[in-house]
Amino acid sequence: MIDAVVRSLANVLAVMALAPLLDGLMRKLVARIHSRQGPPITQSYVDLLKLLGKEDIESGEVPAAQRASAILALASVLTAACLTPMGLGVPLARYADGILLLYVLTLCAATTAFAGLAAGSPYSMVGVSREMMAVVVLEPLFAFAVLVGAVQSHTLRLQVLLDGSVYGGGGVTVSGILLLIVMVLGLQAYAQKQPFDTTEAETEIMEGPLAEYSGPKLALLRYAAMAKLVVYASLFIGLFAPWGADLAAVYAWPIHWLKVLAVVLGVALLATVHARIRIDQALGRYSALLAASLAALVLAVAGY
Amino acid sequence: MVARERLAALRERFPTATLRAELPSDNRLYVHVPRELLRDVCRFIFRDQDARYVISIGADDRPYSGMFLVAHDFAYDDDHILCSVLAAVPEADPTVPSITPVVPAAGWAEREFRDLVGIEPVGHSYPKRLILPDGWPEGVHPLRKDVPWNHMPDDYDEDAVYPFGDPPEGCTVIPFGPFHPTLDEPAHFRLYVDGEVVRGCEYRGFMVHRGIEKLAESVMGYDDIPFLAERICGICGCVHSVAYCQAVESATGIRPPERAEYIRTVMLEIERLHSHLLWVGLACHIVGFDTLFMQSFRIREPIMWIAERICGNRKTYGLCLVGGVRHDITAEVAEDLRGVLDTLEKEWTAAARAVSGDRNLMARTRGVGIADRQLVKEMGLVGPVARAAGVPRDVRRDHPYAAYDRVAMEVVTHDGCDVWSRVLVRTEEVFQSIRIIRQCLDRLEPGPLQTPISDELPVGRLGLSSVEAPRGESHHFLITGENNRPRRWRVRAPTYQNLQGVPAMIKDQRLADMTISLGSIDPCFSCTDRMETLDLRTGHVSIWTPEELATAGDSGRRR
Repeated sequence: MIDAVVRSLANVLAVMALAPLLDGLMRKLVARIHSRQGPPITQSYVDLLKLLGKEDIESGEVPAAQRASAILALASVLTAACLTPMGLGVPLARYADGILLLYVLTLCAATTAFAGLAAGSPYSMVGVSREMMAVVVLEPLFAFAVLVGAVQSHTLRLQVLLDGSVYGGGGVTVSGILLLIVMVLGLQAYAQKQPFDTTEAETEIMEGPLAEYSGPKLALLRYAAMAKLVVYASLFIGLFAPWGADLAAVYAWPIHWLKVLAVVLGVALLATVHARIRIDQALGRYSALLAASLAALVLAVAGY
Repeated sequence: MVARERLAALRERFPTATLRAELPSDNRLYVHVPRELLRDVCRFIFRDQDARYVISIGADDRPYSGMFLVAHDFAYDDDHILCSVLAAVPEADPTVPSITPVVPAAGWAEREFRDLVGIEPVGHSYPKRLILPDGWPEGVHPLRKDVPWNHMPDDYDEDAVYPFGDPPEGCTVIPFGPFHPTLDEPAHFRLYVDGEVVRGCEYRGFMVHRGIEKLAESVMGYDDIPFLAERICGICGCVHSVAYCQAVESATGIRPPERAEYIRTVMLEIERLHSHLLWVGLACHIVGFDTLFMQSFRIREPIMWIAERICGNRKTYGLCLVGGVRHDITAEVAEDLRGVLDTLEKEWTAAARAVSGDRNLMARTRGVGIADRQLVKEMGLVGPVARAAGVPRDVRRDHPYAAYDRVAMEVVTHDGCDVWSRVLVRTEEVFQSIRIIRQCLDRLEPGPLQTPISDELPVGRLGLSSVEAPRGESHHFLITGENNRPRRWRVRAPTYQNLQGVPAMIKDQRLADMTISLGSIDPCFSCTDRMETLDLRTGHVSIWTPEELATAGDSGRRR
C-alpha cells in the first residue's frame, strides 16, 4: 500500500516536473528547424508561472464548470500517470487493470470537450465538436492496442499489458508491428500536433475549446496538455518499447525518461514537416488508422 | 492593332454618334461618347472586341466644364492599348445608363461613383451603398468639389445599421468578420449557408476607407502624392507610387530618364519578391505548416535588407517622383543585390520544391476556390488569380512600363483555376523576378535620375497607367489640374476586382474552404473553417450583434 502511494507520488511529481522541460525542448527543436533562435528551454515553466499569476477572468457560460474542468483536466492526466509505468513499474498495479486505464484516458480526452462546452462560445463549440469527432475515432485506437496486448498475454493486468504485451510472449508479431505504425501516427493526434491539430487550429478557430480560457485556468489546461503528451509517450513506450523497464530503478528510471524524450522529440519533428489537414480529411485518416488497428486485433486473435 | 485602328472600328460600328477621341500615342485611346451610348459602346468593346474591363470612374468636373464625368476604362491586352470611354453628365440630371448588365465586373465601380460623386447608374442590378459608412446621410457625396475634404455631415446617424438582403430560401446566415483575430483588416462577409455549402454571400467592406483620393485632389501637390500613394498599401506601396507617377507622366508627356526606369523596375521586382515570399509563407501558416512559413520569412529577410540598403527603408521605399526616382543603385549596392539574388535563387529552389511536393498543402488547396476563364473575363480578375486560370495576362508584358519592354521574361501560367495553381504561379514568379532584376543590373547605364520639369504641368489632360502589382494589375486614372495637383485621381488596386470574384469562387463550395480561397487573392484574410462544424453538428448558428459583443466583453471582468 505505502509502496504504491510512494511510487504513484514519484510518477506524479516526475510528470509535473519534467513535462514543461520536455515541452521546452520540443519548442527549441521546432524553433531550430524553423531557423529561429527559440525560447530558452525553461520557457514553459515561466509561461505556466506567469499564467498562474494572472487575473482569473470568468468569461464563459458556466464559470463553476470551467473551473472544475480545468482542475479535472490536470487531475485525470495525473491519475493516468499512476497507472503508467515510468521506470518504477506500474504504481497502482494491484488496484487497477487495463479497463480502468481506458476509462481514465477517455476521461482525459473528455475534459477538453467539457472545458469547451462550459465556455460555450461559438469558437469553443466548433472546437468541441471537432474534439468529439476525433475522440470517437481516436480513443478506440488505444483500446485496440490494449486489447491486442490482452489477447496476446491473456490478461488485463497492467504490469503485463504495459510490458510489451502487443508482441505476445516474446518475438515480434505482425499485429504488434501494425499497431506500432498505427500508434506512431496516432500519437500525433493525441498530442494535437500537425497534421492533426485540427481541434485547436490557431488560424482557423483560435485554440478551439480553449478560446475562452486565460490566466490560471489556462495554466492548468496547458499543464494538462503537456502532461498528457508525457503520459501517452510513456504508455506508448510501455506497449511497444518496454526494454530496460525490468532493470533496477536506478537504471530503469533514466532509461525511461530518455525514451520519453526521444518519443516527444519525434512527435515535434513529425509536426514540423506537416501542414494541418482539414477536419474531414483528418477523420478519414483516423478511420484508416482505426481499420488498421482492427485488422491488428483480428490478426492477434488469429495468433499472428 | 494600334489605337487608331481600334477607334476606326468603333466609328464604323457607331456611325451616327459623334465620337470625339484623343490619341496621345499608339497605346492610349480616350473616346468621348454621348452618355446614352455608354452601355452600347461598352458592350461592343467588352463583348465584340473582347477587351478586358479595368475600372469605372466618376468625377466632378463642374467647376471646369459644368458637367460630371463618367469614364469606363478597358484594356486591349493583345494590342497593348489602355482605353478610356468617357461621357459628360449634366448637373441637372446626374444619371448614366449602367454598364453592369453587360459588364458584370463594373458592379462595384458604379456603386462607388454613385456613393462618392452622386451619379446614378440607371439599370444597375444591385444599386446598394458600397463605400459610405452606414450612418452617412443620403445626398452628400464626398468626392464632389463643393464638399470639403474634412466635411462631417451634421445628420450623421451613429446608430444606423446596414440593410443586408434576405438569405435565399433554406439558407442560414453565418457572419465572418468584421473582426477576427486572424484577420488583419476589417471586412464583413455575410455568408448564406445551406448545410455546409456556401450558396451566396453579401460583402460589406470599406470600413477603413481613408479618403486618399479626396485628400490628393484637395490639399496635396503633384510631388507629395507619390508618398501618399505609397501608403495605400503596406505590401505593394511602391507599385502605387510608380503607377501614380506614370499616370502623370502619361498625361503630360514627361519621360523619365532611362536609368530611373531601370531603377523603378528593380524596386518593383524587389517588392514583388518580398510580397510573393510573404504570401507563400502566410498561405502555409493558414494551413498550419509553420516550418515553411518561417523558412519563407527567413529567405525573404535579405530582400528587406537590400531594400533598406537602397532606400533606407525595409518597406515604403519613397522611391518615385514625377519624372524620375530619388534613390540610386550604386555599383556596390548592385553587387550586394546580385549576391542576395544568388542566395535567394538557391534557397527558393529548395523551398519551391518543398511547396510543390507537399501533399497536405495540395490536399487543402486543390480544387478549392475555383475561378475559371469565364469568371476572370466577367469579373475582370487580374494577377495570379487570372494566370492560375490559364489566362496569360501580365501588365509587365501587355502594357510595358518602366524598363519592362527591354527585359526578357515569361508569364507564368497554370490552368488548375484553383488555390493550388495560385500557389504554383506565385512560387514560380519568384524566379522570373530574379531574372528581371539581373537583366536590369546588367543594363544599368550611368545617367541622370530625374527629368527636369521647368514648366507648370498642363491642365485637363488625361492619364492612364497600369502596373503589375504582386497581386495583379494596379490601375491609376488621372486628370491633371490647377494649383499643382490633379483634378481627379482614381486608384484601382488589384484586390478591388479580385474581391468581387470571391462570391463566385466560394459559391457551392465547402464552408471550410472559404478562407483559403479568400487568402488566395490577398493574404489578409484567414481561415473560417470554424463555421463548418458548427452548422454540421448542431445546426445552431449564433450571430453576434454589437451589443452582445460589448456585453460579452464586459461580463468576464470582475468589478
